[in-house]
Amino acid sequence: MVAALPRVYLRGLVLALGVASCSDRPVSDAAAHENTAPAGVEEWFTDRASEAGLDFVHFNGMSGRFYFPEAIPPGVALLDYDGDGDLDVFVAQGQMLGQQARSEALHPPQGPLKSRLYRNDLDVHVNRTRTLRFTDVTGATGIVVHGYAMGAATGDYDNDGCVDLYVTNLERSQLFRNDCDGTFTDVSRESGAEDRGWSVSAAFVDYDRDGWLDLFVGHYVYYTVEGDKPCLHSVSSLRDYCPPSVYRAQPDHLYHNNRDGTFTDVTTAAGMGREFGPALGVSTADFNGDGWIDIYVANDGQPNQLWINRRDGMFTNTALVAGAALGAVGEAKGSMGVDAGDFDHDGDEDLFITEIASEGHDLYVNDGTGVFEERAARARIRLPSLPYTGFGTAWFDFDNDGWLDILTVNGAVGHTAEALTRNEMFSLQQPKQLFRSLGNGQFADVTEHAGAVLKHPEVSRGAAFGDVDNDGDTDVVVANNSGPIRLLINNVGSGRHWVGVRVVGRHPRPSTRSGRPERAEGRDIVGARVGIVRATGPTLWRRARADGSYASANDPRVLVGLGDTAGIVKVRVEWPGGTPEEWSDVPVDRYTTLKEGEGR
Amino acid sequence: MVGVVALSAGGCTSRNEPIGDRQTLHMVALPDLSRLEESVQVQLRERHAALDAKRADPSTPTTDLGTEYGEMGKLLMAAEFDDPAEASLLNAQALAPGDMRWPYYLGHLYSTNGDIPNAAAAFERVLRSAPDDVPTMVRLAEAALDQGRPDAAEPLFTKALSLQPRSVAAHYGLGRTALATQDYRRAAQHLDQALALDSTASIIHYSLAMAYRGLGDHRRAASHLQQRGTLQIQPDPLRKALDELLHSALNYERNADVAGNRGEWPAAAEYLRKAVALAPTRASPRHKLGTALFYMGDRRGAFDEFHEAVRLSPTFAAAHYALGVLHEEAGEHQQAIRSFSAAVGSDPVHVDARLGLADALRRSGRLDASLSEYERILKIDPGASKARFGYAAALIRLNRHQEAGDRVAEAMDLHPNELSFARMAARLFAASPDNRVRDGRRALAIAEALLGRQPRTIDLVETMAMASAEMGQYGAAVTWQREAIEAAGRIGRRDVVERLTDNLEQYQAGRPCRTPWRADEPIEF
Repeated sequence: MVAALPRVYLRGLVLALGVASCSDRPVSDAAAHENTAPAGVEEWFTDRASEAGLDFVHFNGMSGRFYFPEAIPPGVALLDYDGDGDLDVFVAQGQMLGQQARSEALHPPQGPLKSRLYRNDLDVHVNRTRTLRFTDVTGATGIVVHGYAMGAATGDYDNDGCVDLYVTNLERSQLFRNDCDGTFTDVSRESGAEDRGWSVSAAFVDYDRDGWLDLFVGHYVYYTVEGDKPCLHSVSSLRDYCPPSVYRAQPDHLYHNNRDGTFTDVTTAAGMGREFGPALGVSTADFNGDGWIDIYVANDGQPNQLWINRRDGMFTNTALVAGAALGAVGEAKGSMGVDAGDFDHDGDEDLFITEIASEGHDLYVNDGTGVFEERAARARIRLPSLPYTGFGTAWFDFDNDGWLDILTVNGAVGHTAEALTRNEMFSLQQPKQLFRSLGNGQFADVTEHAGAVLKHPEVSRGAAFGDVDNDGDTDVVVANNSGPIRLLINNVGSGRHWVGVRVVGRHPRPSTRSGRPERAEGRDIVGARVGIVRATGPTLWRRARADGSYASANDPRVLVGLGDTAGIVKVRVEWPGGTPEEWSDVPVDRYTTLKEGEGR
Repeated sequence: MVGVVALSAGGCTSRNEPIGDRQTLHMVALPDLSRLEESVQVQLRERHAALDAKRADPSTPTTDLGTEYGEMGKLLMAAEFDDPAEASLLNAQALAPGDMRWPYYLGHLYSTNGDIPNAAAAFERVLRSAPDDVPTMVRLAEAALDQGRPDAAEPLFTKALSLQPRSVAAHYGLGRTALATQDYRRAAQHLDQALALDSTASIIHYSLAMAYRGLGDHRRAASHLQQRGTLQIQPDPLRKALDELLHSALNYERNADVAGNRGEWPAAAEYLRKAVALAPTRASPRHKLGTALFYMGDRRGAFDEFHEAVRLSPTFAAAHYALGVLHEEAGEHQQAIRSFSAAVGSDPVHVDARLGLADALRRSGRLDASLSEYERILKIDPGASKARFGYAAALIRLNRHQEAGDRVAEAMDLHPNELSFARMAARLFAASPDNRVRDGRRALAIAEALLGRQPRTIDLVETMAMASAEMGQYGAAVTWQREAIEAAGRIGRRDVVERLTDNLEQYQAGRPCRTPWRADEPIEF
């Protein structure tokens, strides 16, 4: 029963939990608030991928054999690879699996199968209108991804001011160093970051606060096409995609940056080798407020990990006792996407995790010390999320009212009995969901009002969040499995005031390779906490981050909605391992670069 | 012939308004069954034929027709054909409005699909005709919790408890409700009570841990976290009937899994025999049946089923592994090695099988081969403490004591709560013939710490003797050794008494022990 369900809200009724019919749905204060849209904006989000030249269509290799990897990818990355101030797009591509010929695919692909990088040639006109145009520059940049790509992570690992790209893969991940001249070099092997095994999400993170980005790579399960196991639908006995429990989880990997272009695998030394699960989502943040970045891993069907940084190169997994490993009643859930954010304005990082249909998504509320309580039901997220399987997600303030909202991009991972009996091989489509914060710890599902593109059912997986058209609101690039990429342009947020900051480090250390260009302004300091100090109300804390979501990489700039508050604001930045700094008089409604060492 | 109205899926059709008469029933057409298991096809067709017959007979009482629709709906729901199931159950509800089963099952159907508001409406309908039905009350309360309404859930759970004071579900629900409002004291009270009533429902432990954590009782929280599990509270009879309804091999396997997880092996075996009867060429139910028989003590029966499983599916790693376990238990190391090898040949990352192989190789004296297997395991799973232990044990057997000492010291750091490593370390440091490895002080410290952390076993007492002797404390060594001998004598282990007496004489002569383990003495995790 995956048809659209009538939406009913029961506010104000204590015991009568009955259903109102579609024709007499009650309108409440909450409902009124959730529906509020700026005047003249009919569609809060519009898909402009096609018109902007983002013509990517994912191919998952499905041939009717239901090979396990088919249902997992792809991820997508937003990154400013050419340093021109706008976000470019990288998206992972699949292949045929095993020895199968393309002709055996259920939907044989047209043209070569390549993971692609699209350059954003954004034109901002004098009247502030924008023309979005993307150009496929994959060939020109030298990015050649081997095999069956899963997703991507971004970060300037060599501190030359140019963001690098890490592509996760079914078999062998690749690290592409940005050479700062419009091209990339595959340095996987020589860097030591060539990670073997099935990886999905990864994150660049400076866990030891030495100013150099290290790398965490989440691994899924041990899998080979030759060892693929046939799984039968539990009731119909027809072939379907397997759950991850059929395969053995693979350990995750932590790579320490040696500051010379190479990495060392420190997984065991860091204490991370002993506990792992089928990792699908990774988010890095300071969860216990001690100034050191921790790592949260969302595992599919097994307890999640909360790796608390012990500040000595080692980590301890506290997820279980912290209440962040399992669902509300202690069940291991099919966790896929994850993001950390301060949704309740108490200054700490809370967690949102997407789950499988019938499980309900999780909202872990942080008490400030890295101890969590699961509150999705009270937050009114659990109920509307039950019919859907969520993947890519993020905390983002879509309407710039100062409160973090949530978008989940959805798509099933297994079929219904009915679909299988109809011999449907890919009936996994589901709509996306937009949850708007009501500012009181609760959310409203506002998908119905957000635009046709959100309601259109697809098999969505990765989602990268960032201001693609630089107009001051957060857009979303969605990667669909066996489907077209979507560029969801936000039409509402820029109608309110906002402040955007890019936090960068000091001038980069001398590179260890001579002759390569560098960019003067330094790298994005992911992990830095950015506080927007307002005249009234609590400080709005955000985090410069590229990780989170699912197999995807986000815009590392911090964009904070100010609602109707105009005027300049004060910005406080807590650098990882550095002295906090403040900037007064940061202008609103534009982006400002804040460089470490130049504040007060 | 009754008139029909096609159900529009997912639209604004009022699902819970009474239809009233046969003229306005929803159409219930069977989906395409051709790809289902034969037994399920037969079951669905027979049920549908019975429904058709009743429908065609104008003398069929309305309530009887309602029952037919209801049974059809149940079966369709069990087969996960949700749309026709819903149609059938709506018809049943309309034709037999006094029968609370049909709105209950509708509620269950909606709940399963995440449609909580409609589920709640259905459960409310049940309670209107059966206001004291506790299972439905509990379901409705759970729906309220799903909706983030603990204020609505509490009175329902409370009423359920007043009607059935020993209701595990009601106590559990009240505990969860209290947790949702951060009333940790009440939560702990109710959850403790639920656990007391059904100690097998291991799912309760997690919520109880959260309650104690909220109360600041971290010791109890940790204890319950360790005991947490996935065993649910026993389902109510209506749900149980639904779970067992479908005559399919996979469904019987599923029920067997549930029974097996609860340790109800005879029930699991019964389900699996049905599964085997329906799918005699599938290896999986055979393997599971073998497992059930093993736990029932029928090793011969288990053997036969595992053999049949690998005959049907020669690459079935789990069945090869199970055979390996049986062989190893019987001391048949060579056969065990063959079976474990077959398992890892089919599934190279089957860590348990590889561990079984490594241990069997070690026990049969093929120590170098066992080392490579342990190494491979640790590459697949660095957290495999048994492999780490086995590796050290193999080194000890090879008299590579210094390497063994390094390995076990590393293992103690990696697995501080795994006392096997401490036990191994204490003995190695106490009595190794390698001077570079022996460290009496360290051995004594570890052994003394163990005394405070584990039961006082013969092995541990013997280790205390060794460590004391190494420290020159022969009087203490003699005392400890005598205690070990007495304990071994009490349990009738004359072989152990003999071995311990040899060392006693050493200590009495003022000589330390230089044989941490004798050749015939097992080194086990």
